[in-house]
Amino acid sequence: MIVCSRCSKENQDHYKFCLGCGAELPRHSSQPKAFQGGTPPGGTPSKGRTTNAPPGRAAHAEALQMDADPLAVEDPLFAELAPLGDETAPCSHCGAQVPENFRFCHVCGHDLHAEASDGASADLPAERVSAPAVADTPFADTTRAQLILIQPDGSEGEAFPLSARGSLIGRSTGGIFANDAYLSPEHAEFRFEGDQLVVKDMESLNGVYIRIEPDVPIELFDGSIFRVGQEILCFEAPFAPDPAPDGTQHMGSPHRGYLGRISLLIGRQTTGNSYPIPPEGIHLGRERGDIVFPEDGYVSGLHCRVHSEVGHVFLTDLGSSNGTFVRVSNESYVPRGTFVLMGQQLFRAEY
Amino acid sequence: MAYNCQAVCRSQSGPKRGTRGMEQARNYVCTECASAVPSGHKFCGACGANVPPEAQTLATRYFGALQMPGKARLIVVRGDEAMGEGLSYLLQASEHVAGREADQIPFPSDNWLSPSHANFLYRGEKLVVRDQGSLNGVYIRIRGTVPIQIGDHFMCGQQLFRVDATPKDTSGPEADQTYFYASPRHPSAFRITQVLEGGMDGIVCCAREQSVQIGREDCDINFPDDVYMSPRHARVEMSGESLALVDENSQNGTYVRIRGERELSHGDYVFLGRNLLRVEVTA
Repeated sequence: MIVCSRCSKENQDHYKFCLGCGAELPRHSSQPKAFQGGTPPGGTPSKGRTTNAPPGRAAHAEALQMDADPLAVEDPLFAELAPLGDETAPCSHCGAQVPENFRFCHVCGHDLHAEASDGASADLPAERVSAPAVADTPFADTTRAQLILIQPDGSEGEAFPLSARGSLIGRSTGGIFANDAYLSPEHAEFRFEGDQLVVKDMESLNGVYIRIEPDVPIELFDGSIFRVGQEILCFEAPFAPDPAPDGTQHMGSPHRGYLGRISLLIGRQTTGNSYPIPPEGIHLGRERGDIVFPEDGYVSGLHCRVHSEVGHVFLTDLGSSNGTFVRVSNESYVPRGTFVLMGQQLFRAEY
Repeated sequence: MAYNCQAVCRSQSGPKRGTRGMEQARNYVCTECASAVPSGHKFCGACGANVPPEAQTLATRYFGALQMPGKARLIVVRGDEAMGEGLSYLLQASEHVAGREADQIPFPSDNWLSPSHANFLYRGEKLVVRDQGSLNGVYIRIRGTVPIQIGDHFMCGQQLFRVDATPKDTSGPEADQTYFYASPRHPSAFRITQVLEGGMDGIVCCAREQSVQIGREDCDINFPDDVYMSPRHARVEMSGESLALVDENSQNGTYVRIRGERELSHGDYVFLGRNLLRVEVTA
């Protein structure tokens, strides 16, 4: 709980701004950092809510650290009980005094070894070099694009090169993807069609999500899945069973010409709460709108809108902080700079 | 009157003469011998002539059959335009079928009614209503709290709901140890699904804690547009293993779909399609 110093309203720990007056809240040091860059699938589960997070992945920050250094378990220097060296040297990246026997900077995670031995990786900005498979890959001629990891605090992490010939990524392809339990072994393939980067979902379990541009309507079809904060939502087109053979109609609540329904996906074929979309459309948000998610701090106050134009149904992001993501159906173009959500991690496609 | 007067005048064995000098015979007068015959006699005591059956018992009739004790009638409280409100049906026979194509209680313009929808019939002294296997069912207004089961339907205001079980969790990991990412969710004992006209499902509300509250505003499921809904109308709650439907003193009541047949008593309300009927049983 963070009590606002301006208006005294009590706010949840992960809120960045006061719900009462909008003042910026102080960071709560014992809590995971407020989310800025992307939405962690594992998330920090709200009290009483269940997620199917794999064991040991309660907080995204922890999971990221584990991902960032698969050698950590074997490396005694990384363990908490490792003795601190008496001699320190400044980290070339952040300037912190780092004990000389440390391989990584304990403040920013900078790989001090890599810097000493391999000058090539110094090209990459703010990098948290981790898996040797990735770190050792030279920036080859065939690389036409990069997936840049967006860390939970919004800063950019390491870059994963995408080959011009096409790159398959997934848990089995190692590197930063190896320990992500929400990635299928073969999750997605990136390739080029002319100048355009294309991503193909390799029938993965959790799919590939692409952040939509604010204020640009995206058409929804029956079964379209999109993501808002930690919530996976599914659009269902209107459906009606046939009347009885004797001409009797199905009785029910007044049908206001609903465009379909928005349902919360809580299992492979299972939905939870569900709301019909009236002809005038609906707004979704954490605090405002027709459907609210008061417990999901990654949802903006007013986040997105679903409405109808000329008989089609559209989803529009309303300038939300963390964005609205649409699940790729089979394959999709990935315009330059697009945010891509796969497994637990958020990337930006640069090319 | 004229005939009776003459008979009295001629009769020497008539009733005792009154004080006013001229009066009416006080009983049936035999048509053969003009003697007075007391009520209940089958033959004239003076001449032995038959007394006609209608003269043997002097039963008082009701002006109308509506006054007959033990018989019920149905009053249309809300009906469609064709049938009109305030219309009533006296249930004088042993069975009375209501439906879109029924002879006795027809509602020809309500396409929510099956051709033969419900049967109001007497079992001994009791009136019961039986669902004739209709598509949309027969709903009865509940009084207070009633038990309810998964799969049951109920109505509040203009809204129709179904009680559903929580579906089996399908969010476990794959055989290849890929975890399924599902939205965060609360454990839920049951869910309430709104059923829309035409048969599509509308709102689904998974129970938080142990109950789902329905009303106009500030409830778990809200219908600000439904003018027949009370602010806090009804709730479904789980206690132990069993579910209960509670009407919270709503103005228009909460109605539950009956299974098979149900006994009716005075003051009960029955919804058949769009038609609301009130049951009146004469004491």
